[in-house]
Amino acid sequence: MSDPRDNVQQEFLAEAQELVEALSRDLLVLDEAHQRNDPTDAGLINEIFRSVHTLKGIAGMFGYKHVGSVAHALEDVLDDLRLGRTFVSQELLDVLFDSVEGFQRLLALDDPQSPEEEPAVQAYIAAVRGIGSEPEEEEGDPLERYAIEPAVLSVLTEYEEHRLRACIREGLKPYRLRAEFDLAAIDDSIETLRGVAQDDAEIITYLPSMEGGNEDTIELVVLLASRVSELELKAHFEGRYGKIEAITEQTYLPTLPPRLTSIPAATNSIGPTVEEDNNLASLRSVANSVRVDIRKLDHLMNVVGELALVRSAVARIVDSFKGEMKYRQSVIDLDRIGRGFERQLAELRTGILDVRMVPLGQVFSKLARIVRQAAREHDKQVRLVVTGASTEVDKLIVEELTDPLMHLVRNAIDHGIEPMTTREHAGKPGQGTLALNAYHKGSNVVIEVEDDGAGMNAHSLRKAALARGLVTPEAARELSRQEMLDLVFLPGLSTRSEITDMSGRGVGMDVVKTNILRMGGMTSIASEKGIGTKITITLPITLATIRALMVNVASRTFAMPVTAVREAIPYDGDHVRTVQGREVISLRGETLAVCDLASHFGFRTSNHGRGRFVVVGSMGDRSLGFIVDELCGQEDVIIKALGKSLSSVRGFAGAAVLGDQQCALVLDAPALFTEYFAGREALEAMEVRP
Amino acid sequence: MSATAQSPTLAPDPGTEAGAFAVLAVAAGDELYGFPLSSVREILVPPPVTEVPRAPAQVLGVISVRGRIITLVDLPTVLNLDAMIAPHGRVLLVDNGSELIGVAVDRVLQVYRIEQDQIEYTSAVDAELSDYVVGLGRVPAGNADADEHLLILLDPVALLGGS
Repeated sequence: MSDPRDNVQQEFLAEAQELVEALSRDLLVLDEAHQRNDPTDAGLINEIFRSVHTLKGIAGMFGYKHVGSVAHALEDVLDDLRLGRTFVSQELLDVLFDSVEGFQRLLALDDPQSPEEEPAVQAYIAAVRGIGSEPEEEEGDPLERYAIEPAVLSVLTEYEEHRLRACIREGLKPYRLRAEFDLAAIDDSIETLRGVAQDDAEIITYLPSMEGGNEDTIELVVLLASRVSELELKAHFEGRYGKIEAITEQTYLPTLPPRLTSIPAATNSIGPTVEEDNNLASLRSVANSVRVDIRKLDHLMNVVGELALVRSAVARIVDSFKGEMKYRQSVIDLDRIGRGFERQLAELRTGILDVRMVPLGQVFSKLARIVRQAAREHDKQVRLVVTGASTEVDKLIVEELTDPLMHLVRNAIDHGIEPMTTREHAGKPGQGTLALNAYHKGSNVVIEVEDDGAGMNAHSLRKAALARGLVTPEAARELSRQEMLDLVFLPGLSTRSEITDMSGRGVGMDVVKTNILRMGGMTSIASEKGIGTKITITLPITLATIRALMVNVASRTFAMPVTAVREAIPYDGDHVRTVQGREVISLRGETLAVCDLASHFGFRTSNHGRGRFVVVGSMGDRSLGFIVDELCGQEDVIIKALGKSLSSVRGFAGAAVLGDQQCALVLDAPALFTEYFAGREALEAMEVRP
Repeated sequence: MSATAQSPTLAPDPGTEAGAFAVLAVAAGDELYGFPLSSVREILVPPPVTEVPRAPAQVLGVISVRGRIITLVDLPTVLNLDAMIAPHGRVLLVDNGSELIGVAVDRVLQVYRIEQDQIEYTSAVDAELSDYVVGLGRVPAGNADADEHLLILLDPVALLGGS
């Protein structure tokens, strides 16, 4: 398919990207802990150190020189951090956060060795090296307070020694646990022990004792530090693992045989064989997942589509034999096999779709960084609350969502959330809250970006739209409050700075809306002056295949995604009334606006009478009836994008291939809704500046 | 199957001696047109066309070619000419630099190699057309009616709105 070198390069970039994302996530946690003045989580620092270390390694292998040097500089400062030679500070966090952006820029370079980047990289490295607060003066070595065998101390790595010291300084007491472990499962056992200890104690190191143990087992002396009492620890570990005792001035660790002290201090292992096992385990866990080019999945999806076509062709042939008695048994058998085939096919389709799904948390963690950055830029206090980060959507949607969400989040902080003093004057908490919520609703995903900021003034929006000539004075008079708020999505309205200030919103809401629409989604807004603003995005879960209701309009077949369809009812032309220039019918006592698709699309048709249907679509809390000539059943279709040459044509999400070279246009319900409800003026305004 | 990196222009065809172009001659309406051979991917018997409501006038609709959705355009309308294309002609799949576009034509004649000096780079044609037309090429007709045909050499990128 492509140059294998390219593939390797892609692999590298994907892995590097993942590392940088992990780095960014961990930094946010670190930052949060720092803001709360929580003690630094040693495990987290280690995690960050490892990400950077791995990045440095792979960058070196693939010739990403700049990435390598930046990672190298970071590695040094992180090493100091984990060894307690320096401490987390605002300054340090800023530098670390800069590195995330820096890495991303460097990874995007066409030429990873570009000399032009050299000054920027050097400047950054200098900034990193400039950091390094002096560690606090120590009042005597805390280790001296406890009688820990010099032989043990001498085999502790620098890191382990630092942790032990830090733990004692924080008031934890050192203990030692003697426990026997099965040699074959030693890694697992130690992992379990770590898990058990996690909340109560920190395991500093473990060393084999030469007493006890036989051919299959080994006795380890585990050195741990704990803040809970000896009694509690005993309750926890004794019996399950072995004897535990506090290290005091009276107790000594058993003398270690000289053989062990010769193990290099840097290794934290029992012996070479065990370390090898360790490596194998980590290699295995990597091999459990694969990265797949999304185009390969698209291809598989196409194959599934073709199979479905084959299946219906076979079913048609089987049908044609149904009347004939002599084939009766074969027809029954074929029917049964066909149904089984269909089930498997459905499962295959679900399986492929499932692979494409990724949690929205991927985008949310990027946004968390933007929130932090924007809040600092504007000197505002913002608390980010995320719910539903595990909500899964199609990978492609996640990619496409990043920019619009980034925009909304920036807007909310730039223009929504007020400065602290203003908020306090208004009787609100000084710290603003920005909520990102995601949840599934039917076969849609809903994402909300909500702030408790200043809100928007609907009337200023209308005034602005009038001033720009985007609505006629007559139309403006009839706008409901909701319709006024919707004006914010018009291009040309929100791009002027004076409007921004007035409306409390930033630029480019039209772009956000267009991007979401392109994915078959819908954007809506709710805002109360002084209370806040909520932007709600409703998206389909996947773009690859959809279940569609096939309808006939003026002898042409269209596919309507069933997600947008609430019900279909017979149409009775006699009961149509006209309200404000829109045709409406009554449906169970409610008024429903209807749109004749034939005339909406400008088809000439003679069918105005009976026998037609109204397909009732709903999107959010709005409903609209589409009048069609005929309902032709449901089908699973794969949506193919229309070519670029048709990008200006609105109302279609793409085309579905039906087999026998036929295709049907897929109606873009959200776009048709928007078009219908926004009215003529809005539509024309949209077409002027696509 | 993606649009190739090779830019479909009237650059000399590497397969020919220096200075000569390979051109696919087609008949559409009353005229003969030449597409650079490097831009033509395929010649099809017209598949069923699905009309696209509210599309620009030159768009006849979309066709499905082995699972791909391709926009089909009407050559005379693109060129602002008043002519009808026969429904049972041919469809060329032409690379316009950003996607494949289907172009409906009446007939496909043959491939000609045109020497540089046989191309008239004058805007002898309609000024409105000059944006799409590279020049006029004279090719031997090979029949009794005329000595030579006049091919209107088209620039697919400018013509079909590519980039």
